[in-house]
Amino acid sequence: MKILGVLGISVGCGLGMLDALSKLSHDGSASASFVYLNTLSLAFQIDGLSAFFLLAIFGVCLLAAIYSFHYMNHPDKALRTATNYFFFSLLVASMALVVTADNMITFMLSWEIMSLSSFFLVIYDHQIPENRKAGYLYFIFSHVGAMFIFAAFGVLYGHTGSFGFDSAGLSQAAKMLAFVLAFIGFGSKAGVFPFHVWLPHAHPAAPSHISAVMSGVMIKTGIYGILRMYSIMDLHTPALGAMVLIFGMVSGVLGVVYALGQHDLKRLLAYHSVENIGIILIGIGIGMIGVEAKNPIMAVLGFSGGLLHVLNHSIFKSLLFMGAGVVIHKTGTRSIDALGGLLKKMKVTGVTFLVGSLAISGLPPFNGFVSEFFIYVGSFRGVPMETPVFVLSLLAIVSLAVIGGLALACFTKVVGVVFQGEPRSQAAHDVDEKGPTMLLPMVILAGACVVIGIYPGTFMFMAVKAVAALGLDYGRIPMEPFARMSANITLGATLFLALLLIILALRRILYQGKTIGRAGTWGCGFTQPTTRMQYTGSSYAASILDFFKPAAPLQEDHPPVSGLFPKGTHYHSHIHDIVELHLNRMVVKPVLWLFDKLRWIQHGDIHLYIGYILLAIVVLLFFV
Amino acid sequence: MIESILLWAFALLTAPLFAGVIFKVKAFFGGRKGSPVLINYYTLIKLFKKGSVYSTSTTFIFKLGPVVSLGAAATALLFLPIAGHAPVLSFNGDVIFVLYLLGLARFFTIAAAMDTASPFEGMGAAREAYFPIFCEASMFMILILFYRLTGDLNFAAYFSGGQPFGFWQTAGSPMLFVVIAFFIILLTENARVPVDDPATHLELTMIHEVMVLDHSGPDFGFIEMGAFLKMFFYSSIVARLIFPFELGNAALNLALFSLGVLIVYMTVGVTESIMARYRMDRVPKFVLTSFALAFFATVITLEFLK
Repeated sequence: MKILGVLGISVGCGLGMLDALSKLSHDGSASASFVYLNTLSLAFQIDGLSAFFLLAIFGVCLLAAIYSFHYMNHPDKALRTATNYFFFSLLVASMALVVTADNMITFMLSWEIMSLSSFFLVIYDHQIPENRKAGYLYFIFSHVGAMFIFAAFGVLYGHTGSFGFDSAGLSQAAKMLAFVLAFIGFGSKAGVFPFHVWLPHAHPAAPSHISAVMSGVMIKTGIYGILRMYSIMDLHTPALGAMVLIFGMVSGVLGVVYALGQHDLKRLLAYHSVENIGIILIGIGIGMIGVEAKNPIMAVLGFSGGLLHVLNHSIFKSLLFMGAGVVIHKTGTRSIDALGGLLKKMKVTGVTFLVGSLAISGLPPFNGFVSEFFIYVGSFRGVPMETPVFVLSLLAIVSLAVIGGLALACFTKVVGVVFQGEPRSQAAHDVDEKGPTMLLPMVILAGACVVIGIYPGTFMFMAVKAVAALGLDYGRIPMEPFARMSANITLGATLFLALLLIILALRRILYQGKTIGRAGTWGCGFTQPTTRMQYTGSSYAASILDFFKPAAPLQEDHPPVSGLFPKGTHYHSHIHDIVELHLNRMVVKPVLWLFDKLRWIQHGDIHLYIGYILLAIVVLLFFV
Repeated sequence: MIESILLWAFALLTAPLFAGVIFKVKAFFGGRKGSPVLINYYTLIKLFKKGSVYSTSTTFIFKLGPVVSLGAAATALLFLPIAGHAPVLSFNGDVIFVLYLLGLARFFTIAAAMDTASPFEGMGAAREAYFPIFCEASMFMILILFYRLTGDLNFAAYFSGGQPFGFWQTAGSPMLFVVIAFFIILLTENARVPVDDPATHLELTMIHEVMVLDHSGPDFGFIEMGAFLKMFFYSSIVARLIFPFELGNAALNLALFSLGVLIVYMTVGVTESIMARYRMDRVPKFVLTSFALAFFATVITLEFLK
């Protein structure tokens, strides 16, 4: 039965992906509408923007479905696995519907199905209390977010009187209000700082292929929502571009700082989603600022860089989550500091994870670099302009540089501690690499990282097509400059690879006929090393975290070593998310206090409950 | 084009020579005769003749690290106008490409160090991951200034011909800040005093040297060569800024450029002779000074350019 489910989902995704590709390459669009329950009309439309997101959604879901075949091998949990596939297929379908919906009703309906189905996927292992808690947190966040989106749509509906995506007749103030409300709502889905609190809890709780889908594409529907709202509303408020950019910068920098402090592999990757959403928002923000500053090149570069990063992030993040999934599947632990040396026994996982790490750090010749490159070039376009644009571009560039450096630090930590060195525990020692359907998707994704990194041309065109659908009134966007930039990246990358090959050949010649010895690592004179003496992830990140202490308070538990014959000691550290900390203090506690005081309403007497209902209806009658 | 390639080859061949100057300067300050200027060539030849011993903990990444770091540094030099001559290759945004390529080299150097399972190398790796974050921010801050001055995003537009002289003319004295900022980046990126001490004897206090403890033979030779090239890359930028002139004659240009590079290397030697390494937690502040200087330079020139 499982194979049927996997086949069904993957064939469906494959067909959808082909269609999205053809829409992107031929400027195609399609629309359909139905009447639902005689009153509501369900309308769908595919334009360049939808097709671009569909490509990412179907691509990642296809591979995630294949991956799940060997990952979900729990014959003892058959019912649970079946439920998982049911909600998985529902999630794929609802995501596709979200990005094709053409009116508010359709959109919210699909949005809710998406949120709910992913909620059930998160609580897959619901016997673990922590996972249930993560699920509830996600549930609350996605519904508070949905309320904000409802409010934004309400503002639109209040002015236009129609459920269509239309903003004719709205004042600038109303548009701004609607956009900010929608930004908060969609931002909470996308994991924009400070609405990201659910993300690092929910993603680790879900099975890894679901984490890959959620982190790779589901949170991108939030980005889609922001872009869609932007294209609906003909905004002329410079402040909004600055707002998007600043949220992006904060998400980007703090996302990666928190990621550095994590000990849980999947939680670390989840925080990196916050970071990458930040990079995407920096791109979009630069685009919006470019539009306001009447600088079309900056605008198109910003938007297309951001969109390309959506695709790129969906590729390398799902790759990394799948890799983490294999590691967890084989070792049974998510703790980074308990692993080590996996590369020797898990070649495919290790190498593909390495490729994903290089890509997410934005290094050439991998795909993460390409999108960051376009955002950089777009941001530099704003540098010669007058001050608000200049300052904002400056901030964007410097924060991108800092994010790049921190991401490199974070992923050298992950690769170095998890995959290299020596195993730090028995669990990491006894591993193998079985399950071809788990490895194949990772190889494909790693291949995609390299291909886009070296030949970004086609993918860049797709992103520009999606930008064209935003309706920026630039007419046909000329492709020539983009083709040239892509060709330059190709040239640089091939040249580098050619030099690399030459040096490798030289190396081979130099090692010809030489004696190659093998011995233990040089311990600087110490001859009895143990694997426990290795640098851990915590120690690796400690000095960087110390620098960011104000934003990321570190709690350490380390009884000092004292006396002549000291007893054993331990070290435990936890990095606090300041948003979580303050949310708990300023929102959760007061709300709990208030509801505690209102407890008398809930008394269990059914007659009085009926009385409440009557009273509510009578009160409502006054308003309707 | 041929000349560009020849100059690139010149850079590859002379980088070890210039690095030898630092030893001489330090020997002079120490009152010693010092090793011959060609010492680095001897070392490279010696290393290339040897075989290697690999730690049982290591994987293919350990062997790939030196290759990538040398490849990245050699590629970076392709984009840099040497002696003011047009570089081999140039495109809009090549600065970003080169900086990120050097990032790739750093990734592999760190990964190769982590491959050995040695706590010492882990310690060095953590520092190598930490300090360059600020270098990158500072570097991009300088790029912002250069972009405002030229409207271009490639090395050729910044350092070829009499272009650097144009910087001094339009920006004026804030360029001094930029030179110092670049010099600080040079010291940090190339693991020199006061950030790192390549001559120290205690592994605990090293950054770059400790990361390559386990490399030997030709692999170590590649690492050394990559380090020479990287040093040459940053030095030639500073050299072009302190001698921004175009003399109209290729040979004279090359001579002046070599003199500039020599002065930079000698300054590094002098700095190493008269200063001690900073405590590790002071280093970020030192590197951030570079960022602050670049930032001030940009802010001051904002007014000039109006």
